[in-house]
Amino acid sequence: MQLLFVLFGLTVLLFLLLKAMPGDPAKVMAGIGARIETIEAIREDLGLDRPWPVQYWRLVSGIFNGNLQAMTYHKPVWTVILERLPATIELGIFALIIALFVSIPAGLLSAIYRNSPLDYAVTTTALMGISIPVFWFALMLMMVLGVTLRVLPVSGRGLSVAVPYLGRWSFVTWDGIRHLIIPAVALSSVQMAMNARLTRASMLEVLQQEYVNTARAKGLRERVVLVKHAFRNALAPVVTNIGLQVGSLFAGAVLTETTTAWPGIGRLMIEAINRRDQAVVFGLALFMAACYMLSYLAVDVLYAYIDPRITYD
Amino acid sequence: MFKRMTVCLLVSLLFLGLLAIAETAVPETPGAQVGGTLTIGVSQTFKDLDPRIMNSAYDGYVTGQIFDDLIVLDPYTFEPQPYVAKSWEVLSDDRVRFYLNEGIKFHNGEDLTAEDVAFTFNWIADPENNSPNFTELVWMQEVVVVDDYTVDVITKPDYAPFAPGFAQETQSIVPKDTVLAMGDEEFNLHPVGSGPYKFEEWKTGESLTIVRNEDYWLTYPNLDRVVYRPIPELSVMMLELEAGGIDIADNMPAQDVVRFQEMTGRSVAQCPSMFCAYMFFNLQHAPGNDPRFREAVYRSTNIDAAVFSIFQNLTGVRSYGCVPPAIWANDVPYLRDNVALEEDDARSKRLIAELKADGVIPEDRPLTVYCPLDPRRTQIATIIATNLIENGLNVIVQPLDWGPYLDLAYRSESDPTAAELDMGIIGWSGGPDPHDFLYYLFDSDNATVGSADNLSWYQDPEFDAWIKEADTTLDTARREELYVKAQRKVYEEIINIPLYHYIETRGLNDRVQGFLISPLSEMHICDPYHNVWVKSS
Repeated sequence: MQLLFVLFGLTVLLFLLLKAMPGDPAKVMAGIGARIETIEAIREDLGLDRPWPVQYWRLVSGIFNGNLQAMTYHKPVWTVILERLPATIELGIFALIIALFVSIPAGLLSAIYRNSPLDYAVTTTALMGISIPVFWFALMLMMVLGVTLRVLPVSGRGLSVAVPYLGRWSFVTWDGIRHLIIPAVALSSVQMAMNARLTRASMLEVLQQEYVNTARAKGLRERVVLVKHAFRNALAPVVTNIGLQVGSLFAGAVLTETTTAWPGIGRLMIEAINRRDQAVVFGLALFMAACYMLSYLAVDVLYAYIDPRITYD
Repeated sequence: MFKRMTVCLLVSLLFLGLLAIAETAVPETPGAQVGGTLTIGVSQTFKDLDPRIMNSAYDGYVTGQIFDDLIVLDPYTFEPQPYVAKSWEVLSDDRVRFYLNEGIKFHNGEDLTAEDVAFTFNWIADPENNSPNFTELVWMQEVVVVDDYTVDVITKPDYAPFAPGFAQETQSIVPKDTVLAMGDEEFNLHPVGSGPYKFEEWKTGESLTIVRNEDYWLTYPNLDRVVYRPIPELSVMMLELEAGGIDIADNMPAQDVVRFQEMTGRSVAQCPSMFCAYMFFNLQHAPGNDPRFREAVYRSTNIDAAVFSIFQNLTGVRSYGCVPPAIWANDVPYLRDNVALEEDDARSKRLIAELKADGVIPEDRPLTVYCPLDPRRTQIATIIATNLIENGLNVIVQPLDWGPYLDLAYRSESDPTAAELDMGIIGWSGGPDPHDFLYYLFDSDNATVGSADNLSWYQDPEFDAWIKEADTTLDTARREELYVKAQRKVYEEIINIPLYHYIETRGLNDRVQGFLISPLSEMHICDPYHNVWVKSS
């Protein structure tokens, strides 16, 4: 119920933001030198000449019943979004996998070997990961791996395979995986750094807890103490952060996808804004917001699994 | 910016009273290899593939290969040459008869006939259809089918000497029956033409692929397929060109030109463009309507140095008038030597002080130089504004996104800030005829609220009369005389300050052969003048 209220508020806010956005969509679509009659006809055709409440209802009802047509893509908004969604999903999942596989072991080792050269290496790299802008990092990866070493393609999406009803997926082909690496590493850089630092801090805190000393005093093997007693308890804040990152991957994808010519919904958002395609911008923004909300919900559910002390009434 | 190209291509033929008869054929390219894929990097994503509603040069890269035009312009002389029309004949002041080649087939096997030609042009010219290319055919009344392979183009009396802009990608011929069967929206997504390459697949935002039309009537296209890849970031496009991910880059920043010229296996193709950028003044109110103010702005800046600092003369050059040096009646030597103003800070300061004393320059607000969010136009606006501030003028630069900029520049009634439009930087592209520049940028017809191309709002009956006469006379020498006179008038009055012309620039992988860059800003792969091929690696 709370989600529905948030969604409703969001639709109103988005609509008002679209209306506040400068530039007449009809004029941008008609182009320079278009006749006033043409501009008026486009405006009428898109319903932009109607009162705001009517326009709002047209957008909202169209989004929810699937009939809303994109203004410039000649397809329904959902078709436009769903065509581009697989690219973003596979990029986001790859980025998340890379971030998790690198950051959690790194953070763990960094905490265990505190103040060692390994710890310094991890914390310094993590600091760099947070500080370096994603687009610059992506350009450097392209330059080194794509141009100098020629081991990976510079940009774009590789060969993709159409799956009935599920769109086109490129991670199932070798060419597709090769194209995924640079954008996924670039997109994961910030997440990787944040997760590594968080895992390290969380582990350090847990390792100082008395129950860890008790476990060691009982004569448990260090590996069991670290993995079963310390790590599991240190995981809660990390999972929260990862959950939030799932949503932010969509937002981060806007920059990464534009830089690496990755044809996902992040780049679609930029295209749609440039084209003043209010229907697509509205649908996409709503979709991204829904993804955020669902990832928050998933985090809440996961909490109960990780920490049995947490229950929901 | 999309191109407006009302091409006055039959003037010379009308003048000579000739019947044009020529063979349509592609010159042989010795050593050309057949096969392979050509990959082209494109700066923007594609939007429309139906030429009737397409109004972007980028979409034209693709539609130019899928569809054929009625006639074609020689890329060197801009003279009209046969294409789908094998010949034409001037029947009267308002009627031109085109004879079509027989045996041309669309990709679905249908014959291309006079019905298709008439349907295409009449559809665009019908205001009910709201084609964005409508204004390119305003001179046309109707296309009438005479028989299966003959059409008559009936022009408006005033525009009798004007020939069709039929050589443009926005007027390529579409198959009537197929369009009616598929519907406009579906046809736009899955176009069927008669051109050298057939539409295969459009992965939006990712790539667009066309494949060889094995039955192309004109010649056998050399390439198996052509893949267009939208790459919005120019720096990434350059990396792709360097790494071999693309064979042609449709654009190149100035700082990369020399690097690619010196790079083994890569080259840079360049030619003059049909684009001009200029600074306009709002003549509707003070201070833009005071010639002293316009001179003060012009005198504040060394335009040569400003343009050089942005382009290093590699991708753009100083402009002295809106008519590009690549086409006739440009009058560049005269405008450069006699009309263009040198930087003179002392005079600029004196004029600004005088205008302030006279109350012409408002004291209650800073003046604004508007410009689009294009880095080059923002840079030159900043240079001019900085010099003006040093000369005592309170001025700011306001870059705007394209939508709000058009609202403002067109004086949309809905935009309350239009009254404060003082001056701005903008660009314009046209076809290879001075009419395309002088008529749209300065004629009173185009000072219309809501869709003004005459952004200065210049309204001068004498100028209008010259343009009108030039637009309706058959004598090319007389036309040139009138266009030259018109240019001298507007630039002596400093109605706008010409800033720069782009240099059309493409980055090429050396495996690409037979590619020809044209000032018309097209990307032709196969037509009567090109049949691009790639060397096998």
